[in-house]
Amino acid sequence: MTTAVQTEARGRAWRLWLTSGPGLFWIVLFLLIPSGIMLGIAFFTNSDFGSPVLPLSLDSFSEVAGYGILGWSGANFTVLLRSLLQAGIATSITILLAYPLVFFIVTRPPSLRPVLLLFAIVPSWTNQVVRTYAWMELLNPFAPVSHIAQTLGLIPPHLGLMPGNFAVLIGLTYNYLPYMVVPLYAAAEKLDWTLVEAGRDLYASGTKLFFNAVFPQTLPGLLSGIILVGIPAFGDYVVPQLLGGDKAMMLGSLIADQFTFSPNWPYGAALTIIMLVFTCVGLITFRRLTQKLGGGEGAML
Amino acid sequence: MSTIPRKIQHALFGISLPVYLLLYTPLAVIAIFSFGPSLGHPTVNVAAYGLLLQDPEVMAALRRSLTLALCSAALGTLLGTLMGFGLSRFRPATGGGFWLGTLPSLIIYLPIIMPSLVFGISELIFFNFVHEYTGLLSAGLLTMGIAHVTFQSPYVALVVYARLAGLDPNLFEASQDLYANPIKSFLFLTIPVVRPALIGGFLLAITLSIDDFTISFFTAGPGSVTLPIYIYSAIARKGASPEINALGSLMIASVIGIALLYYFITRHRERSTRIPAVA
Repeated sequence: MTTAVQTEARGRAWRLWLTSGPGLFWIVLFLLIPSGIMLGIAFFTNSDFGSPVLPLSLDSFSEVAGYGILGWSGANFTVLLRSLLQAGIATSITILLAYPLVFFIVTRPPSLRPVLLLFAIVPSWTNQVVRTYAWMELLNPFAPVSHIAQTLGLIPPHLGLMPGNFAVLIGLTYNYLPYMVVPLYAAAEKLDWTLVEAGRDLYASGTKLFFNAVFPQTLPGLLSGIILVGIPAFGDYVVPQLLGGDKAMMLGSLIADQFTFSPNWPYGAALTIIMLVFTCVGLITFRRLTQKLGGGEGAML
Repeated sequence: MSTIPRKIQHALFGISLPVYLLLYTPLAVIAIFSFGPSLGHPTVNVAAYGLLLQDPEVMAALRRSLTLALCSAALGTLLGTLMGFGLSRFRPATGGGFWLGTLPSLIIYLPIIMPSLVFGISELIFFNFVHEYTGLLSAGLLTMGIAHVTFQSPYVALVVYARLAGLDPNLFEASQDLYANPIKSFLFLTIPVVRPALIGGFLLAITLSIDDFTISFFTAGPGSVTLPIYIYSAIARKGASPEINALGSLMIASVIGIALLYYFITRHRERSTRIPAVA
């Protein structure tokens, strides 16, 4: 009997590899191995041409920590801190905008909801370069928005709202808002409104109702939203590149520079490790929180 | 729903309306500026669109973008569908332990969670080494296509998996009881069932390909300038121009067109409330 069961299990495993194998192999060959090579490069020495050569060393990491030929500089820490801050603030703004939007949608008649949600998502289907370019046109020194800001004395005359940190923040918020709306909507649509009614019967105030009856139910959606917005915003390349100047540089541009304009592959790879460490810490923290709160992922693999 | 007081409902509307406006203002600005006055055309005009259609560089970039999107989406859908199908049907019910359970999931989620900059640069380095040592895979449309398939197939796999996960497993047993061999049950049961997911996955893969800039930018070669890369370098070179606005408007219009088309095709097929993907 056991042999029959074993044959059956082996047959299933064989068919699993036959169907899923090619795709998995593709991802391993063209992403897992390349990223492994990339991480390995961080431990090599930089050649005069920016490519990695032996011997193995940790020079690139001391360069990341700010030690260079000219002594110590805190520039890298500033860039890292700025990336974390920009991603954090952008995520917070998307939360503040997404909650009213999502609850506006779920209080509409069921037939209207998918259309309203679609309208919130469609802009994210256009190319990121085009979307970001649109903000360049809106915020440049000659645009009406900048004129208003100049008249109000918010920015010095003849300067625009871009390039700079403010423009990067707007660009990130705009780009990733739909990534917050979708998981929040998924949570809000399944909301158990009887809890709210029960709270109302017990004379709970509006704020109390929201934080005790509504908010906990949307928490799993909020946490996945934070992952979906925070992580790509932290590692974004296009937005800071187009809307930020030198003073608004984020980690993504710093990394890309090491592979394009002024090649130094080991240093760039070491910076990448820093980016991945922060990404993984964020991912694991929020996943743990989600599991602790019992948030189901639904039909996920 | 009725438990929300009128006052709050009005407030929700009052906040949501500006958010919707905010979402569409940048897209509208691009469209409006594309008709704007430029050198030699002092009034509202469509000259930019004419220039665009005559520009051989733009047309070549458009051809490359379409070739890349269609070819990569075809292969990405094939690999992704097989992955989603295999994992939903043949994974052991017990979860499969590490080798059959956790590892495939980890591999599938890798392209989705990896920051696209890290993704692109890893591929840049990899293709660089492969080319250096074997002479194969010089940077161009082929390397871009390989990278695109890598990020498309997991999304297709998730779409197909989600569709099959909601399916009664007894259906497959029923088809076996009716003496359908595995190939027959794949052709006459699985394919019809996953067809909406297949079409959806294919369109999603196309959108992902057209949408992507960062990964394309780092895997592209000198002769493989696609539309997003063309726009990016044009902005860097000469800043805003009505021509770029016209190109942007056309891209926005076609993406919105595909999205609405897909939405209205699938709306009648699936009655369940689906949540469209963000890309």
